Order: sequence, then structure tokens, then C-alpha cells
Amino acid sequence: MVMPDFTYVRPDTLTDACALAARLGRDGAFIAGGTELIPDFHRARESARHLIALDHLAELRGIAADGDGLCIGALTTVAEVAASPLVRARFVALADAARAIGSAQIRSLATIGGNFCRAVSCADTPPAAIAGEARVRLAGVSGTRELAAEAFFLGARRTALAPGEVMVAITLPAQPASSGTSYQRFSRRKGAALAVAAVAARVTLAGGRIAGARIVLGAVSPAPLLVTLASAMLVNERPSATLFAGAAEQCADEALPITDVRGSADFRRELVRVLARRALDEAAARAAEWRS
Amino acid sequence: MSGEVLVRLNINGEDRSLALAPNTTLLAALRQHLGLTGTKKGCGTGDCGACTVQVDGQPVNSCLMLAVAAQGKRITTIEGLSHDGELHPLQQSFVKHGAVQCGYCTSGALMASKALIERNATPSHDEIKEALAGNLCRCATYPRMLKAVAGWKEFEGQPLDAKPHAHAERDQQRDHDVVGHGVTRYDSPDKVTGRAKYTADIQLPDTVVGKILGSPIAHGLLKRIDVSKARALPGVLAVITGADVPDEWYGVSPAREDEQILAKERVRYVGDEVAAVAAVDEATAERALALIEVEYEELPAVFDPVSAMAPGAPVIHPEKPRYAGNINTRVDWHFGDVERGFAEADLVREERFVGNRTYQSPMEPHAALARWEHHGDRLTLWSSTQTPHYLHRSLSRVLGVPMGNIRVIRPAVGGGFGAKAEATPLDFCAAILSKMTGRPVAMEYTREEMYRHFRGRHKQYIDLKIGLKKDGTITAAEHKVVLDGGAYTSYGVITAYYAGSMLPTLYKIPNYKYEGTRVYTNLPASGAFRGHGVPQPRFAFESLLDMMAGELGIDPFEIRLRNAMEPNTRTGNALDVSSCEFIATLERARATSGWAEKKGKLPWGKGIGVGCGGFVSGAGYPIYRSDFPHSNAMIRVHEDGTGVTLHIAASEIGQGSDTVLVQIAAEELGVPYEWVWMADCDTTISPLDLGSYSSRVTLMGGNAVKMAAQNVTAQLREVAARELGCDPAALTARDGRIFVKEHPSVGIDWADAARLAFSRKGPVVGTGSYSPPKKLGGEFRGGTVGTSPAYSFSTAVAEVTVDVETGYVTVDRFTDYSDAGTVINPVTLHGQVEGAIIMGLGEMLLEDTVVGANGAFVNANLHDYLVPTICETPEIHTAAVESFEPRGPFGAKEIGEGSMLPVFGAIANAIHDACGVRVTELPITPEKILRGLKERVAAGAPAGARA
Ligand SMILES: Cc1cc2nc3c(=O)[nH]c(=O)nc-3n(C[C@H](O)[C@H](O)[C@H](O)COP(=O)(O)OP(=O)(O)OC[C@H]3O[C@@H](n4cnc5c(N)ncnc54)[C@H](O)[C@@H]3O)c2cc1C
Ligand code: FES
Ligand code: FES
Repeated sequence: MVMPDFTYVRPDTLTDACALAARLGRDGAFIAGGTELIPDFHRARESARHLIALDHLAELRGIAADGDGLCIGALTTVAEVAASPLVRARFVALADAARAIGSAQIRSLATIGGNFCRAVSCADTPPAAIAGEARVRLAGVSGTRELAAEAFFLGARRTALAPGEVMVAITLPAQPASSGTSYQRFSRRKGAALAVAAVAARVTLAGGRIAGARIVLGAVSPAPLLVTLASAMLVNERPSATLFAGAAEQCADEALPITDVRGSADFRRELVRVLARRALDEAAARAAEWRS
Repeated sequence: MSGEVLVRLNINGEDRSLALAPNTTLLAALRQHLGLTGTKKGCGTGDCGACTVQVDGQPVNSCLMLAVAAQGKRITTIEGLSHDGELHPLQQSFVKHGAVQCGYCTSGALMASKALIERNATPSHDEIKEALAGNLCRCATYPRMLKAVAGWKEFEGQPLDAKPHAHAERDQQRDHDVVGHGVTRYDSPDKVTGRAKYTADIQLPDTVVGKILGSPIAHGLLKRIDVSKARALPGVLAVITGADVPDEWYGVSPAREDEQILAKERVRYVGDEVAAVAAVDEATAERALALIEVEYEELPAVFDPVSAMAPGAPVIHPEKPRYAGNINTRVDWHFGDVERGFAEADLVREERFVGNRTYQSPMEPHAALARWEHHGDRLTLWSSTQTPHYLHRSLSRVLGVPMGNIRVIRPAVGGGFGAKAEATPLDFCAAILSKMTGRPVAMEYTREEMYRHFRGRHKQYIDLKIGLKKDGTITAAEHKVVLDGGAYTSYGVITAYYAGSMLPTLYKIPNYKYEGTRVYTNLPASGAFRGHGVPQPRFAFESLLDMMAGELGIDPFEIRLRNAMEPNTRTGNALDVSSCEFIATLERARATSGWAEKKGKLPWGKGIGVGCGGFVSGAGYPIYRSDFPHSNAMIRVHEDGTGVTLHIAASEIGQGSDTVLVQIAAEELGVPYEWVWMADCDTTISPLDLGSYSSRVTLMGGNAVKMAAQNVTAQLREVAARELGCDPAALTARDGRIFVKEHPSVGIDWADAARLAFSRKGPVVGTGSYSPPKKLGGEFRGGTVGTSPAYSFSTAVAEVTVDVETGYVTVDRFTDYSDAGTVINPVTLHGQVEGAIIMGLGEMLLEDTVVGANGAFVNANLHDYLVPTICETPEIHTAAVESFEPRGPFGAKEIGEGSMLPVFGAIANAIHDACGVRVTELPITPEKILRGLKERVAAGAPAGARA
């Protein structure tokens, strides 16, 4: 379908962008890379009449070290995230998740902010970010606020963004010492395909035991799912195949998959079991190799 | 706030300013506003990569980027890749490596490659895969793209010529000058530069856009159509409904004409055409469609053939009593005596196999452009078609216009694989709307509309029973197939015959029974897809044969060798096999693949399997009864003798037929390849060829071209003989000279002879035509289907890895040997085989259309209907065995479709070898493999090991 008519405005300041968006309400939409928005217009899933382009807002761009953590501007493309040595060094699961998105062409348009804000259940970067205790920084007409990334997602295509609010950045705290991360994803083909199921994990070791773990499931629930019971099972235990298999089983239990054209709910649950075990294995191995 | 905005772009180094509506994509700005049609549209949703351009050096999908968002940026398109007439080394590399087939994906792939090499001048294969994962190539030139991108630097500073690439291809032949050599494709220079024009690239002044309204329900009666609001919309020039189109029923199959241009009373599937509009632009046309009010009386619908045949099922074609019970076609064949055959067998097994409804999904969407001239009584139609002649004929019959008043032009075609082998509603509606509006009308399907129009593979339900002696000899086979036809016939009658006729050409089956039933359902019509009707039965047969060989403890190769077809055999179903090197393909594939060391010996999760296939080299009979020769060619020598033009309305759709025909012409004329021009495929310029289907062009077109060339050479020999004072029979023509065979130094230049001939008697023209041998086939109903002047044979060995935890299958390696007769061009031949292997692995592992509750396909797009990407490319070794077919030009047969047939069985058998799971329902998804693994263990097999 041909896209409907809309106007295109390019505010020069964040304040203007927020004010405009607040004024337009449902008639307006921010556009970053457009890789969600444009296809949604074609499929008559988007009805905004006015697009507010974010590309003049320099403060939304770039990857910076924030102490031992990271601050990634919402407008940073996923290609930049995937290629960043800094992201790879400090939080490899996120680099891998970004690299798994679509194709090279998509990645050079797609932004990490857009990947979060459309809140599609199979989005790749959110589970990885949540595993690393990411926070999101939002700016609106009434100021700025920060939120834990897991609290940002309210459901399929539903986020905590208030009308007029822009996502400014995603921040990652310094990762705990002796921690390792992993992002495991299953798709029906190797080249450019959406995830059928995905698992991000962070494992932190202390004295040969697991001091903490965060496991996040993607594409198997309306929003990224931080599985608390499975994570809790690992604490104070020594890493072992049996332990991880048990936790993976628990992940499969906690998943809330649906059946669609990409796979059945049962198959997705099965995948969660396999991917969670692989993610825990890899994260634990990386944690064991931790060098600060 | 609405209105146009000024957008400044730097395009290929030039600053351009455009006033554009904000909703204009960069792709539309390039193609429609700047006329840069080298950038293609394959989907419009970011899934195919055909629209790739560089924006500030980065590769992007121009269909997803708003032109305003590119404000002030530097855009490089395919048109900006070559400089000062010199091709970029990447473009050269694509040409020389044969990485171009239909060319529709080529500009996008080149731009993505360029972005890669600018960052990384020496990329590895893995890096190339990552960079090109978003560039779908349905011809699957992936193995060649990998080599072309990896080896691009070799071509820096080199001029382009047609010589074969230095890493000469296997199967290069030496006994001819042009035939047998891997010369570069005739069409590739235009395809790597974006200059090749596909139908949607042709821009005529005053053109308006046509669009079709499809039914939203799967079955119903039309109660009322009100187009008044649509007509009143400013910018709308014409609106038509069933009332405005001829009453004529049509269909490519004259035996079952059951389609109408626009529905008159009844709609039979979601998408069935109901109305069409012509408007000043696409947006207006779409708006007009939305204003058409249609009232339907919805009727119960059926979406599978079993329900459709059940008593009391809704009747889909009630006006045609012959289709009672929704039976479109029934085939009943019995050769020999299967009861006796099964009684003689030591082992009889019967198994059910179910196929998938896959779609060809060529990268170029169907398109048509119509214009009436000459006081409005002559129609010119440009169409993306594989069969210009059948299209021509259908137009003439349905519109009631003599063929002489219709000119059909086939521009470059971006792949077809059977999806473009008949007239479409686009062709008809464009013609009618153009007549009404007096303006050229351009129409195109969206990717979703392509899936709706369909004509993809029939989903077949196969019950196959085989009887074997202890030593593996086949005693009988009984083959029952129900084909889900969808709402119309398309090629389906022939499909139903092919599904049965091709099993006995590969193995000797003394007693054979086939029962085929094609059934109407309320789904989009299925048609002819590469390998026409045969791949699924072949999959079934190759699978069951392996299962039974396992029970008898016979090696899969041994059982195939024991039953293999041999030359000069008449099959049980009265097909005449002449040349046949099937056994050689088996032996070579077994040796090269390392079968003996691998079969049953690979680690758990890794497997090897063999599959075989064979196909016709052109159908023995045309689709409608006619005495016309099937292929006709004309060669005209340029007046000064320095070139020739070959006229034949054959259809280059990516398979390389133009190249092969030009090679045959050059060889037979005795001139260099570069001398031959291919005239446009235009019915006012070139004589009839039946088209690109049934893998027929090399043999049939090639024979016609060869004859036309012989005719020219005879004329020139005559002239030369007079000059040289010798007998014309003593002369031969080679490489631009005509000389005495016994004394090569005595001769004259070919060009001089041609000039003399023209001076003496005017134009030097030679014609040729080809008809298959008369009376092929048996004297029974349907005995004509499956006949052919010659048959191809092939054996493929697949090696796979199954992730036994997720069920994911990776095809690691393929070894394929074909008997295609003499190889005319090894580059195009291997390109076809590689393409078929990759397309075949897609059909086996990934592809299926999924029917939703309302009867529409829920995955009618390229992100949920997944076709293989470059990342799925296995390591491929292909080769041709030595073979000569007396009926083919220079001994050639076919490769395009036959190469598809061994792939399914090889993969299915390799998966079974890897993990003990036999999936009999396609596609073989990870989910089915996991289920199989569980069932296997439940049945007592050891987990994690072969039984
Ligand atoms: C072919 C294809 C393949 C894809 N494959 C994948 C995949 O494998 N994995 C995956 O995760 N995704 C995939 N995607 C989805 C998409 O590319 C990503 O979600 C992308 O990151 C979205 O970013 P964008 O900048 O393009 O978003 P846009 O389309 O520009 O915006 C998306 C939404 O977010 C809002 N928005 C954007 N930025 C902000 C902001 N800073 N503040 C507030 N709101 C904002 C917009 O208003 C809009 O509603 C694919 C898309 C396509 C077309
Ligand atoms: S047309 Fe842009 S990706 Fe297909
Ligand atoms: S050459 Fe790639 S799609 Fe045909």
C-alpha cells in the first residue's frame, strides 16, 4: 500500500521535539531510522499524520563510556552498536544482539532507540540490555526521568513512554566483576530473519560459585521477560551442566509463548530450554575468563 | 502543514533538488523522479535488498528511507558505480564469475558489496555473507557472488571482454570455438550497470497507473458493485468491473478455460479480481479501490482437497458440470500389471508423503505496460513473461483482436520459475484500461499480490507403494496423488500428468499404476513451478527407495544403480529415452562425494544422502493444439558483414538462454561470439518461440538457431566458393573466416563473403525452425505429457548437520553430477545447478505458504515466507558427465528444471542419516525433526546415536 500523506518536521532541539509531540498527541510520531514505521505505514498499522524526525538532535547520538559503564544514545544505529569495540568489550551480549538484527542495510538505518520504543516482542536488543541491568533515559515536556529497562516495556507494542516523551539514551552500569554475558537466538534461517526465541543471560561468579544471574527471554512473551525464579535457582550454586539444565527447564516454564507463523508455542518453549542452557554455559565461561 | 518539501540530494556526485511529498521514499525519488531505474523494488518492506543504495557510504534499503530523511546526504546508486565508461572492478567480477542471472537483485547486491569493500577490501566469505544476508537472489547466484566479491581486486584496471574467466569452469570443451566455453553472459554487462530495462523500468510519457481490487473473501457471489465514488475521485481515469470485460473464459490450458479477467458473478479465493482502476498515480488508484463498494453473499469455502471432494462440499465452479465434486482433472494410468508386480516382490512398502505449497517468488514482481497506437486499433504490451506467445494468444482470444494487431514485448525478466508462464489479470486489465483512457497504463503486483495471484507449486498428497526384489530390483510401483489445485486450472491439468509421467523415466519400473486427482479449492491457483509437478513425487520416491534399501540392507547407491535407466529405452509409459548417462552420474557422484567413507559413519547429527532426478528437455507438444514449429529463428547478416542479428522470440528470464542461443549461432556461423546481437523479444521483430517452460529453450531454440545459421553459412559458402573457385562443400566457416577444410590457408574473410553476398542479391537472411519428432508418446489419454525429444538425468549427494537440540538443519555440502548432454556454456550450466540446489533446500527446509482462517496466505511477504539467503549457501561441487544427445544442438539437452529434482531426496535422506528421523511432510522444519527425535526414542531407539 502507498503510504498516507503526512508532514515531516525536523526539530532542532529536544525541547521543541517534546513540545511538538505533546501537542500532536496520537497524530504525531517520532521517526528515527524508520525501519519499523515505514513498513507499518505500508501495512496500515501506523496512522500518524505528522512525523517528528529526531535526526537533528545530536545529544541522542553516539556511544560513550560512562565510568565503567556505557551510555548509548537512542539514535545510535544498531550497526554502530554492533561494531563498537567499547560495547563489545564491556557488554558483548548487546553487541551480539545488535549484530543479529535484520541485514546490513537494516542495521545501518535501524536505531537502538527504535528497537526499544516499538516494543515488538521479538526485538533483539532489549533482552540483552535488561540482562545487563540497563536503564533508559527519557525526556519529556516536564523533564527527564530514568527507568530500569525492564520497567519500560509494558506489553506488546506498549511502553512507559508518556505522550511527548523521547528516549534519550540507554545506559548500562559497570558490570559486576567476574561476570559474563551471552545472547542466544534462534531463527528459521541464518540470514536476516526475526527471532523465534531468544535468551540473554548474565552470570556473575564469586569463589567458584554463582553470585548472581539475570536471565531474560525474548520473543516468547509480549515483552522481554526477566525470569526471576530461574535466576534465583542459580545463586550460591556451583556452575554445572545439571544446574544449568534445571534453570533452563525453569525458564521454559516461565516463558509465555504464543503460536504463530514462525513457530508453535511448544516449539518455542523447547527452544527456550536449549537456548537458556547455552546462554548460561557461555555466560559462565565468559565470567570465568573475566579480566578487569 | 501538508504539501511538498524541497529535498537536496547529492546523487552520484551531482547535486539535485527535488520538490517531493514527505511520504516519498528515497526509492521512489530515484526511480520515478530522477529516472534512475537501476535501483529495483522487490518488496518495498526492507526484506529483499533489491533497492540497496549507499547513503553517505552506508548500505541502506532505499524503500525504507524517506527522501526527506536523506536531505543533504550523498547517495550512490548503481548508475554511479562505473566511471568514464569503465566498469567498477566489482561489476567486472560479477560478470566474469557468472554472478548474474536474471539480474534483478544485481544492482542491490553490487551496492551492498561496494559498501563492504570500502570498509574491508579483502573480506572473507563469512564477512561477505554477513554483508549480503539482506540481498535475496532467487536465482541463487550466491556461490558466485561469494567468489565475485572475494575476488574483486583481480579486475582492477581491466577492460571488459567476453572471454571466459581465467579460473576456467569445469566442463570447458575444446572441440568447438564458442560452444562449450564459459563466455560471459550476453546480458550481464547491462545487468551490472542497471541499464537493463525490466517492464516496470520503462517510462512512457503520459502513463497512468492501474490497480486491481481483489476479493476479501474466499468464496461468494457478487451482489452489487458500486463504482460511482471511485469514478468521481479526482485523478481517476477509468474504473472497470466484470461488466466491462469480455465474457470469454480463458486459461493457459485450453482443455480447462475457467478464468475471467474480472469476476462476473462469483469470487473463488481471497484476491480473486473484482474491479480495476486507472489513475494518475498509485496513491490515487489505491484510494479509488477503497471507494469501490462491493456487496458479497458469502458462501462456505474449502481450503483442502479432501474436504473439497467430500459429499456436500461447496461447489467452486457450478457453471461447469464437468467439474462435479470439485474434481478438475483425473488421471488413471496402468502400465503392465501392478498386482502381479507386487506379488513377485520380496518387500512391499507403502507410505504417505505430503508436499508443501511453495511459491516461486521471483525477485521481480509481475508487471505490464499497455499502449494502443495506430488510431487505437493496435495494442503494444510490455510484460514480464516467460511465455510471450501464450500471452499473445490469450490476449488475442480474450480481447477479440487478431494476433497481428497485438505486439507483445518481453523486456528483461527478473526471474519466473513458472510464476510468469501465462497471461495475468495485469496484462488484460492494462490493455483494457489503456484502450479506455487512451493513455499508456502501467501495472505491477505488490509482493503480497504476487502471493495472491500465486501459480506456485501444487501441494500434493502422495500415497506411494513400491515393490522390490531382495536384490533391490523394482517390480512395481503404485502412485496415487491428490493435488490441491486452488481455484483455477492454470497449468494444473499438465501438472497432474507430470506428477505421474516422470517417475518411470529414471528407474525401470516394469509395472506402474498412477492415479492423479487435481481438486479445486478456494485458494489461489497453483501452477507450474520449476520441475513442474515432479519434485514432490520424486521426493517421495527417493525417500521410500532409501527406506526400503535400509530394510533390505542395500546401499542407496547400489539400489539406484540396479534400477537405473539406460539409453535407448522405451519406458513403461511409452516415453522414448534416447541418450542417458544416468549411471555415470551415479558413479561420479558416489566417488566424488566420498560416500563410502561417510555413509553411516559420520558423527551423530551429521549425515549424507543421495537423491536422483530427471526431466524433459522441452515438452513434446505445445499447450494448445497447433502445427506451428515450437521454435523459430532468423539470422540477418549486417550489410558490411561485421555482425549478425539473431531473431528469436525466446525468453531470457535469467536462465541464460540468450547466451546459449548466441553461442550456438556464433559457432554454427563460424564467427566470434561478440559478433552476434540478440534482437529484442518483440513479436513484430522476432519469430515465435513457445517460451521458457519445460526446460525447452536450449534444445528447441538451439536447434532452430543452428538451422538458421546453417542456412546463412550455406549462402556464404556459395559466394566464397565462387571467389575461391572451389566446391562450396569443401569450405568451412570458423572464427570469422571461410576456408578450404583441407587447406586452411586458402580462404576469405567471413565479412568479405557477407559483403559480396549482400552486394549480389540483397539481404542475407537465414531462417530455421524446430518441431519435436512427430507422434511422441503413447496412444492413451495424457500420453503426450512427459514426452520430449530427450531426457536429462542427475544425481546429487547432500551432506547436512542437524542440531539435534533445536532441529535446525544446515546443508553443508552438495555434490551434483548431471547428464545435460553437451554443455553449451559451463558457467550458465553450473549457475543453474547451484541455483536449483539452493532453491531446493529452501523448499525442503524453509518454505511453505500458510493458509489463514479466511483462506488468505498469512505469510504473503518475504519476512515470513523465508527463501534462502547467501548465508544458507552450502559448499557446492557440480559437474556434467560426458554425454551426447543426437536430437539436441551440438548434443545438448537441458539443465534448468531437471537440476531441481535430485535435491529434495538427497536432503531428506541425509537428514535421516544424520539423526534417524524420516520426515515425510514438507517442509522439514526444526519442529518436525524434534518431534521425530522424540518419537524415535519413544519407540526404543537409542537417544543420541544411530540405531
Ligand atoms: C526487514 C527488517 C528486518 C528486521 N529485523 C529485525 C531483527 O532481526 N531484530 C529486531 O530486533 N528488529 C528487526 N527489525 C525491526 C527494526 O529494524 C528495529 O526495531 C529497529 O531498531 C527500529 O529502529 P528505527 O530507528 O528504524 O525505528 P523507527 O521506525 O524510526 O521507530 C520505531 C518506533 O519507535 C519510536 N521511536 C524511535 N526512536 C524513538 C525515541 N528516541 N524516542 C521515542 N520514540 C522513538 C517511533 O516513534 C516508532 O514508533 C527489522 C525490520 C525490518 C524492516
Ligand atoms: S524493495 Fe527495498 S528491500 Fe525490497
Ligand atoms: S540474479 Fe539474483 S534474483 Fe535473479
